[in-house]
Amino acid sequence: MKRVISAALMTGVAAVLAATAVAQPAELMRTEAAAQQGVSCNSTLKIALVTPLTGGAGFLGNAQLRWAKYAVKTLPKQYGLKIRLVTGDTPVEGGNAPAQSVAQKFVGDRSVVAVIGPATSGAVAATSQTYFQAGLAHISPSATRTSLTQGATKEATAAFFRVVPGDYIQGPSDARFMIDQLKVKKVVIIDFQEPYSVGLADAAQTFLRSKNVTVQRESTSVRTTDFSSLVTRVPSDAEIVFFPTQQPEDAQTFAQQLLEQGKRAKVFGGDGANSPDKFKVPGSYVSNFARNISDFAYNKALIAGWQKDNPGSQLESFGPPTYGAVQVALNAIQRACKAGNGRVKNRRDVVRNVKRINVKNWILGGNFRFSTKSNDPLNAKFYIFQIQSNGSYKLVG
Amino acid sequence: MPGRSGLNRSLFRVTLARMRLDTFIQLTLNGLTLGSVYALIALGYTLVYGILKLLNFAHGDVFMVGSFIGFGALQALGGPATPKVPVWLLLVLIVVAAMAGCAVLGVAIERFAYRPLRNAPRIAPLISALGVSFFLAYSVQLLFGSEQRDYDAFSLSAGALFFDGFNIGNVRIPLLRIIIIVSAFVLMIALWLMVTRTRLGKAMRATSHDREAAAMMGIDVDRVIVFAFVLSSALAGAAGVMFALRAPTAATIGFIAGLKGFTAAVIGGIGSIPGAMAGGLILGFAEAYTQGYISTRWSDLLVFVLLIGFMLFRPQGLFGTPELKKV
Repeated sequence: MKRVISAALMTGVAAVLAATAVAQPAELMRTEAAAQQGVSCNSTLKIALVTPLTGGAGFLGNAQLRWAKYAVKTLPKQYGLKIRLVTGDTPVEGGNAPAQSVAQKFVGDRSVVAVIGPATSGAVAATSQTYFQAGLAHISPSATRTSLTQGATKEATAAFFRVVPGDYIQGPSDARFMIDQLKVKKVVIIDFQEPYSVGLADAAQTFLRSKNVTVQRESTSVRTTDFSSLVTRVPSDAEIVFFPTQQPEDAQTFAQQLLEQGKRAKVFGGDGANSPDKFKVPGSYVSNFARNISDFAYNKALIAGWQKDNPGSQLESFGPPTYGAVQVALNAIQRACKAGNGRVKNRRDVVRNVKRINVKNWILGGNFRFSTKSNDPLNAKFYIFQIQSNGSYKLVG
Repeated sequence: MPGRSGLNRSLFRVTLARMRLDTFIQLTLNGLTLGSVYALIALGYTLVYGILKLLNFAHGDVFMVGSFIGFGALQALGGPATPKVPVWLLLVLIVVAAMAGCAVLGVAIERFAYRPLRNAPRIAPLISALGVSFFLAYSVQLLFGSEQRDYDAFSLSAGALFFDGFNIGNVRIPLLRIIIIVSAFVLMIALWLMVTRTRLGKAMRATSHDREAAAMMGIDVDRVIVFAFVLSSALAGAAGVMFALRAPTAATIGFIAGLKGFTAAVIGGIGSIPGAMAGGLILGFAEAYTQGYISTRWSDLLVFVLLIGFMLFRPQGLFGTPELKKV
């Protein structure tokens, strides 16, 4: 009997190993084939938006979707292209698995010539190799983790680009503002045990400690919604609570609970908390990778058109960079089409052209180019806003 | 006489002791608020388990639906900034709307997901409960989106719910917390009176004790079961509103809230009404003190350590009695 069971087990293991060995090269071949098969630029090409459309970060993905739809509706004509937007949902609660299955789906579809996203840093790290092997450019409008594009062990590949600056700029910018403008002596930093939050918190903490500011580090879960006991831990002499959340409602709740418990500290949120209709406790601060897009006169018609298509929706901070990312992708596709005499001969041609683009009247202000040293935007900076008593955001740094 | 440095040291110790006392009072208040909500959820688990011996894992999502119904009612009544009715009436109305909506939902769940499986093996309704849980969470997500919904109770009466109240030492006890704690206790006491002092309560206890015998004695068991679902779901609806008055709600909050309510029920002794109340409060205090004195990272871990600990060493909970089996 034992022999039979052993034999059955051995056969099973051998079968699994054989299937894996066969499947892996097959997958690679499929990816490679999709990368090399050309597509005509007269046909309808696809751009894929990879973002969390459902789950806790769904607000971010839906804001990006609204802007991506508008970009795909209005921009391709200018570039002589026909584009269809397809979407891949990567709810953050699902970990890496949804991002990986979405990546496999898009690399296997040869009409997908560029990806807008992945939106979150974790999803980029999990799938960049897959996109790279398929020669598929993936341009994120929101993944800001420093190690994706910087450092000795980069998590993302050469096919990854982002149109917003990384946390290596945001963290120190926020910390510098606290020291220079707010003259802080004691700061509480709270992270949410997820890549965006921890990276940003670490960057700010390093800078603050290097300038001899006392930092109390706290940590909580993304699932926490009542922060009462965390608020109780905030010392009464702390001036700022740095709160890098991706949910503006959490920043609102935390700031309200600080007031409720009579603490004098103000909340300082990152770009994730930047949402005038959701985070509006006066005196609080937020940083963002752009000024309000309505500050730039050349955006007037664009905003009017978008608002007509999205009545009642706010401009939000995560949406506009998605429009920019689509613009970058279309630029690169157009260049690849020209080089290929009306065909995108290989998806890698799009990747090669992304860094060459130069967009004037960039939606987030000024002109847009990539840095020559990394796949990050050139001369990017972060801006600081303070929430006023009427709920509006005033640029203060 | 003590010298100046001695006086300073004494003053420092007194200040430190007062700060520690303030922290303790604040954390106790936090625990009481949280625990009241957990207790209401736990009561729902206990009521259904007591009668059907079914772990209704969809209960957390009924709680979530309650918070959404409350949000809808709040908007329908003019929203937090411009309410059409006085604030006290607004609060009563949104709680009543959530309780009524959830009660209807509870009846539907019982009718379509559990009643057809009443005589099936025990695993079948358990799987059905998980299915209902996912169905509710994803339906709400599809219908209303994945964004968090904030009641914005701060805007009601220009923050009066947060700033009015009274002080214990240096700790402010805000009006909103008083309302939540008192309402939760009123509901718990009302439930206790209903179960112990009314005919229907007696029928519920009889059904819980022996369903077949109760049926033979002329009790309409189906009606009792439906009533248990009505009560448990209505309590979950009230808890959903109380929770969402202090923190934003979303389609995904049901799972963790349900798990915590279940843990509270297990701690108190699942099937025991006083046990569920005590379990909820114990869990609320444990979470608040852990977050305040140790770290917020440890609080969820503690919850599940408590769950496993009770399952292993005292499965009947604090107020339950060990199940006797005929041999």
